[in-house]
Amino acid sequence: MPENVIVADKIKISAFETIRSINGDKVIAESYPGYLVDESKISGGHAQWLCFPTNEQEIVSVINKMKEENQAITISAARTGIVGSAVPLLGGAVVSLERMDDFIGLGYDEEESKWFARVQPNITLNVINEIVKLKKIEESQSIPLEKNWIEKFNEEPIMFYPIDPTEMTASIGGCIAANASGARTFKYGATRDWVRRLRVIISTGEVLEIPRGKYKAKDGVFIIKTAEQEFEIKVPTYQLPKAKNAAGLYTTPEMDLIDLFIGSEGIFGFITEADVWLKDYIPHISNVAFFTNEVDAIKFVNLLRSSSKFKPEFMEYFDNNALTLLRDTQKVDPKFVDMPNIPEEAKTAISFDLGYKEDTLEETFKEIGLMLEKCNSSLKDTWSAYEERELDRFKHFRHAVPEIVNNIIAERKKKYPSIHKLGTDMSVEDEYIGEMMEFYHKILNEVGLEYVIWGHIGDNHVHVNILPKNMEDLELGKQLYKKFAQKAVSFGGSVSAEHGIGKIKHEYLEIMFGNEAINEMRQVKSTLDPNFLFNPGNIFSKEVTQ
Amino acid sequence: MKIVVLAKQVPEADKVAVDPETGTLIREGVAAILNPYCEYALDEAVKLKNSHPELEIEVIAISMGPPFAVTALMRCLELGADEAYLLSDRKFAGSDVWATSTALKEGVAKLVPDFDLILTGKQAIDGDTAQVPAETAEQLGVPQITYGVETEIENKRIKVKRETDYGYQVLSARLPTLVTMSKGSNIRRIPSMQDVLDARKKKLEVKSADDLGIDESKVGLSASPTQVDRIFAPPEKAGGALVPEGTDPKVAARKLYDFLKENNYL
Repeated sequence: MPENVIVADKIKISAFETIRSINGDKVIAESYPGYLVDESKISGGHAQWLCFPTNEQEIVSVINKMKEENQAITISAARTGIVGSAVPLLGGAVVSLERMDDFIGLGYDEEESKWFARVQPNITLNVINEIVKLKKIEESQSIPLEKNWIEKFNEEPIMFYPIDPTEMTASIGGCIAANASGARTFKYGATRDWVRRLRVIISTGEVLEIPRGKYKAKDGVFIIKTAEQEFEIKVPTYQLPKAKNAAGLYTTPEMDLIDLFIGSEGIFGFITEADVWLKDYIPHISNVAFFTNEVDAIKFVNLLRSSSKFKPEFMEYFDNNALTLLRDTQKVDPKFVDMPNIPEEAKTAISFDLGYKEDTLEETFKEIGLMLEKCNSSLKDTWSAYEERELDRFKHFRHAVPEIVNNIIAERKKKYPSIHKLGTDMSVEDEYIGEMMEFYHKILNEVGLEYVIWGHIGDNHVHVNILPKNMEDLELGKQLYKKFAQKAVSFGGSVSAEHGIGKIKHEYLEIMFGNEAINEMRQVKSTLDPNFLFNPGNIFSKEVTQ
Repeated sequence: MKIVVLAKQVPEADKVAVDPETGTLIREGVAAILNPYCEYALDEAVKLKNSHPELEIEVIAISMGPPFAVTALMRCLELGADEAYLLSDRKFAGSDVWATSTALKEGVAKLVPDFDLILTGKQAIDGDTAQVPAETAEQLGVPQITYGVETEIENKRIKVKRETDYGYQVLSARLPTLVTMSKGSNIRRIPSMQDVLDARKKKLEVKSADDLGIDESKVGLSASPTQVDRIFAPPEKAGGALVPEGTDPKVAARKLYDFLKENNYL
């Protein structure tokens, strides 16, 4: 069979009545409100059905039932996403995968010489890492069983799943659907690079078993054969940015079928099982360097990422406003920012983790020392630690800025209930990061909005957080947001480098790709899921834009 | 002037659980850290060193433990100790508080015979016995001041502000003396990359029982008069009583008074 043709497998069906489910929008709103929201905090979610399948058969049965009832399905897992992908804005059914959270097993891919974990969609990243790091795996969990991999695995050094999207309570299924990334993407790439195999139930109620490397697009087409029909999927023809990106469907001319599903925000169906690659774990050493101006800090970033001898785990950026926010918080609540005083003269900080190996530490540090000196800083001015509890401290420090911002906004909400933070998620190509930062500061200072900038500078992907003081500020901020999106796109970047599009960033996707490209995405969806059964409203709406 | 800091490596306490069946500590996957109270002691030593340049203070960190405990000593060096020694030997295995203090006493006596001050944590956060410092002081024949929060050196004496159940007490002793530290600064220090680099060039040596001329019969399990019978998690404290919001202030005050009275606080 040609390599662009995949045949879907039929699955037996359970009786719908045996599946745990709740019917009635009122009872769901009153007794199960948590299933109507996610970390985006957008309101308006409502559902007629709430179902808790425990296996593939039950999922198929739910799909058939909802087709009969003419109800759309919103797939729900840990609901840690922040663009509303799991919020059922159009009603219908919420199908929670929370009862499918098993660690199925572990195997060794002899062709790739790599270990992988086989898991159900709702297992969290924390749990995967706990099981893998502590090697809490039974011999009966070897994949395949006769290979007895577990014994060999127990002799390996500590392994882990390296993607860390900050929220480690995220589910693996959600991470795959969102192609989750995070700070460590700088070194390890995004979720996409770590998925070995997927099982996906599509709108016909049949399952696709997709190992990476087996199904490739040919002449821009995939063929999916099901029992009753044959779907011809036209691979979109638009170009993806070179910069870090989580906006829109993935595409390349000879793409792997598995990549169509990764990052598709659940619009093509249920991920029911995944194999993810594991990696040997190297301890880290955390560092924070301080600079008296932003130009020096960005110069340091460029020097650090050009090193041929080592690659930092990540590089995180804090602008002057972010440091001021941290200093002010230190004064009133020293434990919240559990760090020594941030130097008064510091106007920018770069936090970066390195792999900690005693035998290369000296050489690495000396090289970094030279880099720092070129940027008017020094090893003496740079915090550094590697004890486990120190690493936690540094992690809290990195996450303190968004937390403080959220607290400030929560306070302002008391006066203006519909006020919210405006957080950007845009990336640009390497060479434009300096210009982009200048652009942010210039525009924001011109209009006098309160803001902080922090984030993943290693990937040229910083978050601008605008803190509106009133409704006028909010409107003004929204206009700027659009300007930023246009600028990022003109610098070869993405309007959403890691959060995705979900239900709240459609207009920015338009800025990035244009209507024609979005219609190509919509075409894929219409072919595979003609009734927009799965996750309607994610990435784009059903209605064609002109 | 020489200050010895006795330091211990411990598992990160809040991540250790007790196996309910065997009664032993589950240390799997739990990271080892420098005992926080020992870190306070080291901070105090570095503070004295920095505030008394005229005394030319040298800070020497000493620990007894398995070979991997060098990482705790490396942290001491990063945080400002000048040199460090790890007493490590299979012969020390199974030592209780007394046998440990014997080894430490021998180590201090051999490695820093001219010490002026010993600073150490008031207790380690794993065993929580608080016995080793006191026993070490006894064996060395020097005075001891426990639960210190602030120290000052004046005319070959050390003045220590110490915690008691009823407040603070200030004691003074002639040097050499052993002082255990209870509390450090609110925000712990962080070494710089330069400190981390410099620490690698400082002296860090591992010493065996033979190196120190310690008699095998005085250390280890067989020289330990005490043994651990059982380990268990202390019962969780029950939550306090709350006077509901909106209660009439007079009623609330009465309730509070009754509560304090009943519990002998008044």
